[in-house]
Amino acid sequence: MQIIENLKVKEKLYTEKLENGLTVMIIPKKGLQKKYAIIGTNFGSIDNNFIAPGESEPYKLPNGVAHFLEHKMFEQENGVNSLDRLTSLGVDANAYTTNDHTAYLFEATDNFYEALDELMDYIQKPYFTDENVEKEKGIIGQEINMYDDDPGWKTYINAMELMYKDNPINIDIAGSIESISKINKEMLYKTYNTFYNLSNMLLVICGDFEPEILLEEVKKRIIKQDKQGEIKRIYPKEQEEIVQQEKYETMEVSNPIFVIGFKDKVNDEKTVVKKHIAIEIILYMLLGKSSKSYKKLYEEGEIMVQPDLDYEFSKQYAHILISGTAKEPKKIVDELKNAIKNYKENGLDNEHFLRIKKKIYGDYIMEYNDISNIARMFLADYFKGVNSFDYLEEYSQVTKEYADQILKEVFREDNMVISVVKGK
Amino acid sequence: MDYQKQEIKEGIHLHMIQTNRFKTNLLAVFITTPLLQQNVTKEALIASILRRGTKTMPTSEQISIKLEEMYGATFDCGIEKIGDNHVIKFYLETINDEFLPQKEDILEKAIDTIFEIVFNPVTENEQFKKEYVEGESKNLKQIIEGKKDNKSKYALERCIEEMYKDMPYGLYKFGYVEDLEKINSKELYEYYKQMLKQCKIDIFISGQIENEQAIEKVQNSEYINNLEPREVKIIKTGVLAPKNEPKVIKEEMDVTQGKLVLGLTIDSKDVESKYIALVYNTILGGGANSKLFQNVREKASLAYTAGSNYVRPINNIYVRCGIEIKNYEKALEITKQQIEDIKCGKVTDTELENAKRTIISTIKFIPDEQDTQITYYFGQELAQNKLTFEEYEKKIENVTKEQVIQLANKVNIDTIYFLTSKEGK
Repeated sequence: MQIIENLKVKEKLYTEKLENGLTVMIIPKKGLQKKYAIIGTNFGSIDNNFIAPGESEPYKLPNGVAHFLEHKMFEQENGVNSLDRLTSLGVDANAYTTNDHTAYLFEATDNFYEALDELMDYIQKPYFTDENVEKEKGIIGQEINMYDDDPGWKTYINAMELMYKDNPINIDIAGSIESISKINKEMLYKTYNTFYNLSNMLLVICGDFEPEILLEEVKKRIIKQDKQGEIKRIYPKEQEEIVQQEKYETMEVSNPIFVIGFKDKVNDEKTVVKKHIAIEIILYMLLGKSSKSYKKLYEEGEIMVQPDLDYEFSKQYAHILISGTAKEPKKIVDELKNAIKNYKENGLDNEHFLRIKKKIYGDYIMEYNDISNIARMFLADYFKGVNSFDYLEEYSQVTKEYADQILKEVFREDNMVISVVKGK
Repeated sequence: MDYQKQEIKEGIHLHMIQTNRFKTNLLAVFITTPLLQQNVTKEALIASILRRGTKTMPTSEQISIKLEEMYGATFDCGIEKIGDNHVIKFYLETINDEFLPQKEDILEKAIDTIFEIVFNPVTENEQFKKEYVEGESKNLKQIIEGKKDNKSKYALERCIEEMYKDMPYGLYKFGYVEDLEKINSKELYEYYKQMLKQCKIDIFISGQIENEQAIEKVQNSEYINNLEPREVKIIKTGVLAPKNEPKVIKEEMDVTQGKLVLGLTIDSKDVESKYIALVYNTILGGGANSKLFQNVREKASLAYTAGSNYVRPINNIYVRCGIEIKNYEKALEITKQQIEDIKCGKVTDTELENAKRTIISTIKFIPDEQDTQITYYFGQELAQNKLTFEEYEKKIENVTKEQVIQLANKVNIDTIYFLTSKEGK
């Protein structure tokens, strides 16, 4: 096993790619009772058009298949639902689907290996029937309805539509009631066989373990399968420009909710971490709690809490998201534009830059407080082509000059969008 | 992991949790007062004003700068109802000295900072700064009015309000707009000072800290020195339960999905029955193999969310389902059937064992989550209980099926609340 040690946060990562292609990562944590395992496949809502290994024709999926599959993976041939079985082992099990991956997880104290049995078993043995597929449509239909009433989600998805013309990130992860009505058992098997090959998957385990022993235990639970060839994923070519600058919608909310986005170019995996750090620093300098703009907007009663500041990226997209609640979101946009312009003209303030850099360091250390967070972070970063430790390693490389350059490249008015949901 | 409680003065306690499981030290100050109509709004407002500035850091910008300098220490404050108590909570989290790039005593700074915010607010003419009072009043008004934004939370909140009409627990923790308009900064400051003289104060320090060192730092703080001993008024949690005629409340809003909430009371004052209630709730709606999840979601395919929660301080259970509007009757019927089934003894050994295992597992998680651990010990403090994790596990382990069925027969549906769409279809 390869061992990577990070001296700053004092943690070690053990990693190995098994013969059958499964990548395993183990982050041991002495003295903890909680144990966490998560297995993910590099298959998310945007992977909706592909050529399966050994085939020549593209296969196009209706929206929402990755998420539908996530729901159905728990179904077992013996009639036992794996989620029920895991729950009865006293472990807390769950699953989720994102734009670029799907993951299955559990958190345990006792019965860890029994739960690992079940996890590895249901991941490797799908069981779909016409009946169990039909039944799920009602449940997922209610999940879709729940999101329909969520103004935060609506604002987010509208922002995606403003930024992306063809990239499927602009569709709802769960699909629509109409699109999921087309899903059938054959489609799920086809998709499963393509994307749930172990060579397309990563298992991360965190807790009090001897890595070598744990790795052997993992190997015991693997069902032999043939290594598969390459999956050709087909993504539409996305234009560099945004689609439209703004979108307003009304819903039952007391205060307008907004998402400001900056569409960015797809990143080179080698430099993305450094860039991500710089963007985080810039975002806090622009709208963080100690920034001039935040102070002004707060005192004028425009905002009550600091907006969420994020940089979202995968191998297929990259964008900045600033989301929050404001009286008049237009004023946030104006203030933000001013602050950006000011920093572009005069350069970022050095003292402020160093202070935020210090803050970010603490934020990265705090990420390692909880094992579920650690495991999920390593998994999500892996599918983006990143090792989570890199943030602590690259941190010192980020200079003010570099941040000034990123500010100019990414924070541009021509790639900026604003999505708002306001009250009726 | 080691927990120790120390009286600093009468009514003021320091709780120390020695643990090396985290990268951080977590400090908390909890101020507890009885939940009263005339005070809720004031207390919610005080919580947000204190965040605005202290005598040495008179603006929130200065507080933020100080926190950023401490490697991104995070400060947070919130307000909560725990039984008939209103609790203002302050938290400060810093990374542990061990992970700093350079040596410095961050803990000492952290203790100073949190005390400074809670006990030493910036004032002008012996009152809170007018500007801050006005600004925070406007913000609080928005928070109160924003109650309806999260539909699921709103439905729960409304069910509780209906259940506890004209009772302290029915009050909204953030208060009321009409009361907000009557508050002036002089009176508010007077109330704050009075509150600090009388309320129960609990200080928590969790992390890699020597107890003696923590006690010394807290005792040496001038802010703590300035506080008088006090005989505190708190309301021991876990004894109240309303007795209403069952009622059904329907409310219309512009929603796609209906939110069904059932407020259940348990007619038992026995403290030991709480462990049984916890097991009962887990069987009814605690997780993926609970009766509600299995029957409302998996079998009838009516919902994505279907489950229940036990709120220990008030001994109530709240059932919550997100459903298609037209399925209201069906979902309600299935829910009632589950409650009836347990009453008639339809509980299998597996269900009982599953429920216990789920609960025990969450107990075992407590020491691995820094804030959960503080919440646990504070809950014990308010319930005037001293239960170790091992004892807690044992109590759950000892619950029998007969006890669960007995308790099920003391469960009553008090209020049925349904948030529905305007067309009602």
